[in-house]
Amino acid sequence: MPAARLALSAVIVFFSLIISAPRSLVAADSGEYIAIRKQGSGRIALVLDRAQTDGRQEAGWAESINSVVHDGLDFTGFFTLIPPPLNVRQNPAGKGQSVNFAALNSIGAEIYAGGKVAATGANITFTAEVYEALGAKPILRKSYTGTPGEIRSIAHQFCADLVELLTGKKSLFGSKIVFVSNKSGFKEIYQCDFDGAGLEQLTSSKSITLTPVLSPDGRHLAYTDFSSGRPALYIRDLSTKKTLTAAKSGVSIDPGWRNNSEVATTLSHDGDQNIYLLNTAGAVLRRLTNSKSIDLSPTFSPDGGKMAFVSSRNGMPQIFIQNMQSGEAKRLTFSGRYNTQPSWSPAGDKIAYTTWENKGEIDIFVVNADGSALKQLTAKSGENEAPSWSPDGEMIVFSSTRHGRKKLYVMNASGENQRPLLHIDGDQMQPSWSLFTK
Amino acid sequence: MRDVYSFTRYLLIPSMMFLGACCCEKEIAVAPEAVPPPAPSPVAAAVVPVLGDLFFDFDKSALRVDASEQLKANAEWLKANSKSRVVIEGHCDERGTNEYNLALGERRAVNAREYLIKLGVDPSRLKTVSFGEERPFAAGHDEEAWSQNRRDHFVAE
Repeated sequence: MPAARLALSAVIVFFSLIISAPRSLVAADSGEYIAIRKQGSGRIALVLDRAQTDGRQEAGWAESINSVVHDGLDFTGFFTLIPPPLNVRQNPAGKGQSVNFAALNSIGAEIYAGGKVAATGANITFTAEVYEALGAKPILRKSYTGTPGEIRSIAHQFCADLVELLTGKKSLFGSKIVFVSNKSGFKEIYQCDFDGAGLEQLTSSKSITLTPVLSPDGRHLAYTDFSSGRPALYIRDLSTKKTLTAAKSGVSIDPGWRNNSEVATTLSHDGDQNIYLLNTAGAVLRRLTNSKSIDLSPTFSPDGGKMAFVSSRNGMPQIFIQNMQSGEAKRLTFSGRYNTQPSWSPAGDKIAYTTWENKGEIDIFVVNADGSALKQLTAKSGENEAPSWSPDGEMIVFSSTRHGRKKLYVMNASGENQRPLLHIDGDQMQPSWSLFTK
Repeated sequence: MRDVYSFTRYLLIPSMMFLGACCCEKEIAVAPEAVPPPAPSPVAAAVVPVLGDLFFDFDKSALRVDASEQLKANAEWLKANSKSRVVIEGHCDERGTNEYNLALGERRAVNAREYLIKLGVDPSRLKTVSFGEERPFAAGHDEEAWSQNRRDHFVAE
């Protein structure tokens, strides 16, 4: 009797372990999909099915969520989105409705994403259900709740979870891009979502504002502003909306954050144009470069241990990498006469920058931080400038004159799929992608 | 041939700039509600016609011979008008990248300031600022426009 009991409890423990272990299941599956992506076969074939609903209002919400999820997943470039086959659900009239995996397999779908949308009081709840199609295996089930006004956010939270599950990496959903536009007649700073939606004007200087960059945590915005009659460093606390300026004479050019509390910029108060490290109160912590030449455009490795920057110490501007501890600087770029605008990738292995070519074109290149594997990403398309990496390191935003005026574009980090980011009046330039994804 | 060309340009440009500055001010006075032109310098001040602009070679901040000649004339005026203070604005043509041009423009302004100090002008009367490629004088996209935009411009405070 005790032996039988023991066996029974062992069985119960065994099953409860299986039931309470969805996380390990998920991890195994995500590993599988990371492997698929690494093989270079490229995109994941995904069927996105509109969420099931009961009422007409819910159907409208489901339609909106479906549309935002579709565009969001499409934007990442990770997926081939296949329209759901007509018979994607079995017993469409009955209660015991289920996903028709045979139909999904017949069209080559790898992943099925669907779910339910229901009203919960004044809120919407989207319960997402994701399956691996071949094994009919559930890999994600999660509910997202918000007001009808938060549909974009609800849909993007799901996109973020799905992309992180399938790629094993942080996604770009929730990230922001800050940039300069002269659409008002003055160069002012604007912000938009990762996909160009949600445009917002951040400065009204009626002067010249340049080179905005958000701190890694998104709390501070650093930029250059001519309001005082000269280009000075401004740091805005986005939560308190308070803006302060670094009170050094001379110019300030092109800030770059080292971490949430330290920002580097070029200052010229000592006569030469050197890079200094400042705190968020605008006080100088220390000088980072000491040359008689122009030093500018600092960008840091993710651990803050190294800084890439532009220097004219050898004549024409080239990109150098400096060890923050030893202060030793090494030249990174040897091809191209005029190399500027470095941007260190969030993964830490690559640096994107621009080369001003002899024909007058400007093109974007990527090189490993050790100087190897140089690759040209843009060609024969006017001036392509100011590359900045998405927080997941998968994309690059930049400005281009390929269709006339300077506008913002995005591309995969490999240079593929170059396309406009947003359509607004005037010239757009100097985009900078946030590291946070909120 | 080349010398004649640069000589006429040398004479013409300061007067053109003077006219240009006057036009801008008029526009603002007549129609204050109109979309503001991107031109007026934030330092609201008079352009002194005798303080001529200096021009630079491409991607250079070193003073050319014609630039140092102009600076000598400017120094004479500054000595004769000993109460005046000026801001030297360094500018670049549109080529290259904006951030680097902001630095290059400052070096153009600083080099002119240092030369004026050597000529005996009190340093406290001379400020510098860089506009990089943000405030071109000539609107074109060729060497004729670029050569006019690579300049130091003097504004009395």
